Amino acid sequence: MKLSAEARSVLDTSMRQNKVDDRERDEIEELINQLPDDRVLLYKNVDSNPLGNINRYSIHIRLQHMLTFVTFLTLAFTGLPILLYNAFWAEPVISVMGGVDVTRIIHRTIAAVMVFTMLYHLVTLFFGTLYRLTAGTFDIRRTILPLLKDLRDFRNDVLYFAGKRDQRPEMDKFMYKQKIHYFAAAFGNTVMIVSGSSFLFPEFWASILPASIASEFQELMRLSHPHEALLALLVIAFWHWYNVHLAPGRFPMQWTFLTGKITREHQIEEHFLEYLRILVEVPQERAVLIDMLSKKELLIEPTTENEQQHEKSTLS
Amino acid sequence: MINKTNNRLLKSLTPIKWLRCSIAILLLFVIVPVHATEQNATAFEDDEGCLTCHKYPRMTRVTDEGAIRSYYVMPEVFANTVHRNVPCRDCHNMIKQLPHREVKEGVNCNTECHSVNNPATGKPFSHKGIYDVYKDSVHGRKKVVEGIDSDKPYCVTCHNNPIYDPNELEPPEHIVGRCVLCHEDEKFVKQWYKHTSRRIREVKRSSEEIVQLCSSCHGDKKLIDRHLDFAKNNDKELGSKFAVAAESYGESFHGKLTRYGFKETANCLSCHAESENYYKSVHDIRPSRDPLSPVHLDNRVGTCQQCHELADENYAKLDPHPTTNQKEGAFRHKAEQIYNLVSIVTIIALVGLSLFETWGRRRDGASFLMKVGTSWRRKSKRGRDRVE
Repeated sequence: MKLSAEARSVLDTSMRQNKVDDRERDEIEELINQLPDDRVLLYKNVDSNPLGNINRYSIHIRLQHMLTFVTFLTLAFTGLPILLYNAFWAEPVISVMGGVDVTRIIHRTIAAVMVFTMLYHLVTLFFGTLYRLTAGTFDIRRTILPLLKDLRDFRNDVLYFAGKRDQRPEMDKFMYKQKIHYFAAAFGNTVMIVSGSSFLFPEFWASILPASIASEFQELMRLSHPHEALLALLVIAFWHWYNVHLAPGRFPMQWTFLTGKITREHQIEEHFLEYLRILVEVPQERAVLIDMLSKKELLIEPTTENEQQHEKSTLS
Repeated sequence: MINKTNNRLLKSLTPIKWLRCSIAILLLFVIVPVHATEQNATAFEDDEGCLTCHKYPRMTRVTDEGAIRSYYVMPEVFANTVHRNVPCRDCHNMIKQLPHREVKEGVNCNTECHSVNNPATGKPFSHKGIYDVYKDSVHGRKKVVEGIDSDKPYCVTCHNNPIYDPNELEPPEHIVGRCVLCHEDEKFVKQWYKHTSRRIREVKRSSEEIVQLCSSCHGDKKLIDRHLDFAKNNDKELGSKFAVAAESYGESFHGKLTRYGFKETANCLSCHAESENYYKSVHDIRPSRDPLSPVHLDNRVGTCQQCHELADENYAKLDPHPTTNQKEGAFRHKAEQIYNLVSIVTIIALVGLSLFETWGRRRDGASFLMKVGTSWRRKSKRGRDRVE
């Protein structure tokens, strides 16, 4: 496989950061050379375990996802009957949970857990980044931070699905969809916390804001809390659950949020640059890949020096 | 076994016994209601003979507007009302002769009851004190009035004196047993027990009832429009929240929680009446432009502080009646429009993207189901299939 300049840069950075010795470097380069140029053939022909093959998320991230998942749904369940109080199901739902006296306590308690989850995530991010920086293994392309490349990836992905391109873009550990989703959630969480606090501590917000905008701020918060919640719920229901449950090849669900592992075919298809790093960091994966592809005779045999000379003479 | 016993019992009844049994059963049906009627009738003394005519259920007339007005008085019902001891003409004092002529004047609640004395002062009992307070409030009106003021509530609009309160239990026997030792008359004791216990209990309406009562007028769109038109045509000032008071309260947290039966949140009277002199103040509702109103700008901080102890002047400026109504809440209306637009565009874009991706992946050979091995089990229309 002839790597693009982007992929070559990622691979070289990874080999340098992982202090790969010459022998291993040759082994990796040889494997890369043997891979078919068509990445579609690569991800269609590897074998995967639906529970996941390749480590992706630490236990901290999985815990944070689980906490967000539980708190979000509980908050929506206790909050929506207040927003949509005229709906036929609103009153029964509140009654089932013991009345509004109980649901307001649940809502506030779970909101505190949600705030804790956000702080937990920020601490993980801070110390994780600090560790990578001190260990010399930090690569901004491997983070969730949006880059210009993401816009190109989005454009190229749309072109691929429309049949105008031959290959999906070479995307990194976090593709454009995940970055949008992550920052939408981060923004949404912030809005919910600020607006929620303006309901819980309205006197505090009124006292710190100028009198001229205190009322408008409260108005905006009264609107933002339910609208942001509803938007988040719709995005989760129509997009996140589509991506992790309903998209072709992902049904009934991706197990990554529990096992922390991603399937090999998914990694190669949507996170090819991260897969190159995995080939550097996990020697066993190199062996598994060679084994799978050689059985299907998809590996390109390395050419010997004699054959190279023969090719040159034929060409001349 | 039961059938055999019944047959034996029936056979043992001779014709004379049959007759006696039948008379006994008939007497049972006759005596019980008569006894009950006697009990009720004694509670309401019709000394002036008003029931001579008003006891007839069809004592009605059709008004010029075509409405049927009933003048039927049910003694057994009236005997259980709070006015049961007040003779008819103490209130209907415009009637000077019997049979009387057409009565155009209504009953005023500030009339003195000459037959009932106020036990505290010895003077004739009257609601005049509280009536005068009500008269000066924004709701004040005369009993019989025409035009826009007829929309205002009169005493009986709120004081509908329900004759049956499911929460009001019969006086406990051990209390009655104790009182009757000196007061002797059990009926008197029971009436006094009900009279005093009802008044020393907290008799505020629940928040839900208060909101319902206020909304019966302030949530009536036709009534609101009438008053808006009247104010416009007669250059009269109306409260800034008059048009949206009930609607906006219903949309607020206070309103939603009240609707769900939460008792510790503000209802209409928590802000529009003074808590310290509540029972007087609820009769003295004033518009927010009146300096005596608890929601007047000068009094608002104190009113908010009743519940929100840390409230300051900034807090008092927060809109207690938020609405997305285009006229009354322009800022909120605009903000909501933007939110709705963003939400709709986002959802349409994401659903569109998902459908597009589904189409693209299916075309490329992806099966829906993720299985051990691979999910690329279909034949691709783009020509690169999995090698098996």
